[in-house]
Amino acid sequence: MSQADLAIESLSPHGAEAHGAGVMEESPFAIPSSKLVMWLFIISDACTFGAMLFAYGFIRNSAADWPQVFESASIWNSLLMTFILVSTSLTVLFAVKAAQSEDRAGAFRWTMVTAAGGILFTLLHIREWLSLIGQGARLFQNPWGSPMFGAAFFSITGLHMAHVVGGVVALIVVGLSYRSGRYAARHIEIWALYWHFVDLVWMFVVPLIYLLNMKR
Amino acid sequence: MSKASTSGSMTSTYLVYGAILLIAIVQVIAAMAMGPSLWRMLLLAAIQAYLAVMFFMHLRDEKPTLRLALIPGTLFVLVMMNMIWADSFRLAVMKPFAK
Amino acid sequence: MSDMSVHAAVHGAPTSFIRKYVFSLDHKIIGLQYYALALVAVVTGMVLSWIMRVHLVWPNAPIPGLGALAKVGAPGGVVTPEYYLQLMTMHGTLMVFFVLTNAPFAAFGNYFLPIQIGAEDMAFPRFNMMSFWTTFVAFCILISAFFVGDGPPLSGWTGYAPLSAVGKDAGPGQGIGQSLWGISIFVFCIASLLGSLNFIATTLDLRTKGMTLSRMPIVTWAWFITSCIALLAFAVLMPACLLLILDRVTGTSFFIPAGLNVGDHIQPHQGGSPLLWQHLFWFFGHPEVYIAILPAIGIVSHILICNMRKNMLSHRVLIYCMMAIGFLSYMVWGHHMFLSGMNPFSALVFSFPTLMITIPATIMTLIWLGSLYGSNLRINSASLFCLGFISMFVSGGVSGFFLAQPSIDIYLHATYFVVGHFHMVMGVAAIMGVFAGTYFWFPKMTGRMMNETLGRWHFFLTLIGTYAIFMPFHYLGLAGNVRRYSAFQDDFLVPLIPVHKFITYAALFTGAAQLIFIANLVYSRFKGPQASPNPWECTSLEWSTPSSPPPFDNFGGQHPVVHHDPYQYGVKSSTGDYIMQTSPGPGAAS
Repeated sequence: MSQADLAIESLSPHGAEAHGAGVMEESPFAIPSSKLVMWLFIISDACTFGAMLFAYGFIRNSAADWPQVFESASIWNSLLMTFILVSTSLTVLFAVKAAQSEDRAGAFRWTMVTAAGGILFTLLHIREWLSLIGQGARLFQNPWGSPMFGAAFFSITGLHMAHVVGGVVALIVVGLSYRSGRYAARHIEIWALYWHFVDLVWMFVVPLIYLLNMKR
Repeated sequence: MSKASTSGSMTSTYLVYGAILLIAIVQVIAAMAMGPSLWRMLLLAAIQAYLAVMFFMHLRDEKPTLRLALIPGTLFVLVMMNMIWADSFRLAVMKPFAK
Repeated sequence: MSDMSVHAAVHGAPTSFIRKYVFSLDHKIIGLQYYALALVAVVTGMVLSWIMRVHLVWPNAPIPGLGALAKVGAPGGVVTPEYYLQLMTMHGTLMVFFVLTNAPFAAFGNYFLPIQIGAEDMAFPRFNMMSFWTTFVAFCILISAFFVGDGPPLSGWTGYAPLSAVGKDAGPGQGIGQSLWGISIFVFCIASLLGSLNFIATTLDLRTKGMTLSRMPIVTWAWFITSCIALLAFAVLMPACLLLILDRVTGTSFFIPAGLNVGDHIQPHQGGSPLLWQHLFWFFGHPEVYIAILPAIGIVSHILICNMRKNMLSHRVLIYCMMAIGFLSYMVWGHHMFLSGMNPFSALVFSFPTLMITIPATIMTLIWLGSLYGSNLRINSASLFCLGFISMFVSGGVSGFFLAQPSIDIYLHATYFVVGHFHMVMGVAAIMGVFAGTYFWFPKMTGRMMNETLGRWHFFLTLIGTYAIFMPFHYLGLAGNVRRYSAFQDDFLVPLIPVHKFITYAALFTGAAQLIFIANLVYSRFKGPQASPNPWECTSLEWSTPSSPPPFDNFGGQHPVVHHDPYQYGVKSSTGDYIMQTSPGPGAAS
């Protein structure tokens, strides 16, 4: 979906034009259409992630030998990743704030900081993946117990990582376009919404995937 | 658009940022000390999510109609999905409500 | 507030053929593209059903030409039992996704939703184009399953795991064919999500001055509610397809239990549950039923009001009923799973809201019938098909009462009773709505009238034909005839073969009757009499456009201003017995 997300703004026709007032009914939410679409996409995506997490819970409940895998090192790593992702939520807010005061350089800088945070998060996540793969975990098997552990872990975190990567690409594109004046402040604001949502999903992934499966 | 909210003071944003991180730390430490309790973790995650949606995503500053349009529907769908649990337990031991 | 940009017509009218008719941004062209795609899909699906019906009653009859298409599945044109199931899967998938979702919702919705709210285009025209072409890609992927490997999948449109998940051990078509099916549905989900985002944003943000939410016609409401349902329903099918593809491609076992013996060896999977697939699928699947039927309900109500020359007893209550149905649609999916090994307690819980859905459905029916009573209905092809819709909706809906109760469903589950039920209430009823919409809006879409005589012949033959097909299904089901059997030899079903023969004749006959419609469509497009701007004397905005078909920006550079509730009929005015939504001046109290 992330490619399609990118298109929301770059393809929407009403960038500069704004002559709706007076001949149109007001939008019931008083937000631009593109922002509404991002909100709708977010609730739809929330259901997608919800379904993934429910499927994971379903499989986990019915497994007799669900493994308790994560060492405390993994847990601290996940906490570090949480820290990074939540911090990028803060930096993207700085970008929005700068954009709203027409500080194009500042908004661009903070957008890039956010994207860098996203990349760092992804790298840490890949390191985590590689360490698990090194221990023998695969999508279809693992040395600890129910083979569904790997399937659930990799598919859910993989989907989340895909959203992070899509968000990074989008932020870079939007940041560049905003600096060059092609995009308006609300584009940054809209993609900040998406970025917060990625953060929000992670808040559920950590307890349900990591903490619930920590070694005891 | 919610100009007032974002151009206003960032204090609440910093507070929320701190609170979310604090909850994350509390969650990890509690899980390590007392074992991961699903309900406690979900409650804490829900608080985090609430803070993020309301303050980071500024839903608090939008019109109430937007909140009404987005939140109840999503929660309703997610709540309805809970109907699958009865089957997940049942398959493990082949009797209803068994865990 | 100044950047509350809500204007679509930034792009000018295109001139090149490609931009005008192929990669068009114009919602009207895109609507027609959806309609054409649905037409191709429905013809394909119908031909498949013909082959199935012929095979059922003459199992050894060669089908001309089929031998060349499916060398393994139909050697010499004689359908094998497996190929029967493959045809059935493709029939179901094509019909549900590419006809029932596309025609009443995406096709008519795209064409008329923006016009009915006075917009110049959808909120995101490029998005709109993308959603059509994504749908088209999904369609091509699905159809390609006919031509690769050992043909299309045989697991049914529901793709039940583990049959759909274990790979080619499970039978012909379960290799590459089933994978293509999964990918096609995944892509279709993306397209539908794009479409519904666009519909919701358009409805909320692009309404012209005076077009408050309460002044929107019923059918606009229907498309809007449908897109809200689709937004959250397809979002659940998408991960389900993702997990199915993972199961098939990477060897995970989300939907495959341990120790499953398929193709004479134990499958190398453990830890999953087929019930999980059913839960995820039907969590989407039941809302999907209403995605198909709600737009048809809206279309029919809209057309009936126009032809009755008076408002429904309460068109607001109709809208509330549609909302209630949309709400309940997320609470009932388990009624597809009463006999799947689902927890019996859940069956009870799902049964209750399922029966509750009959309340809004009944209220709607009573409003239609009560409004029709004593009205001076103008009989034309469109209004006849509306009556046909109500008839089908009731006949098919009544059997839902039986199926909704777990104890009765134990007997009826997976019999022809169920097949008859959903073909009538979801399939034929929605198609009747599409026919009604076509006859009604054809003058607006082409500027020409459809032939009325042919239209009536089409209606009566279709009505009689579909009843002749689907009513006997109920008797077959009660007699214990299980669905998905490819032949009835040497068992207790032999006495039912004459009924099946009758159904096959009826199906061939009804399918042939649709040629009248196609001929009418083609003939009227080129030779039909010129249509006046508002041939049905209808009040809603699509009849206020300066020309038929409407110009590129729909209202010729004007912004219509709405002064009235949508259905001002039976009042005195300068134009006759109705007041257009756009005409200034006093209207009847709403």
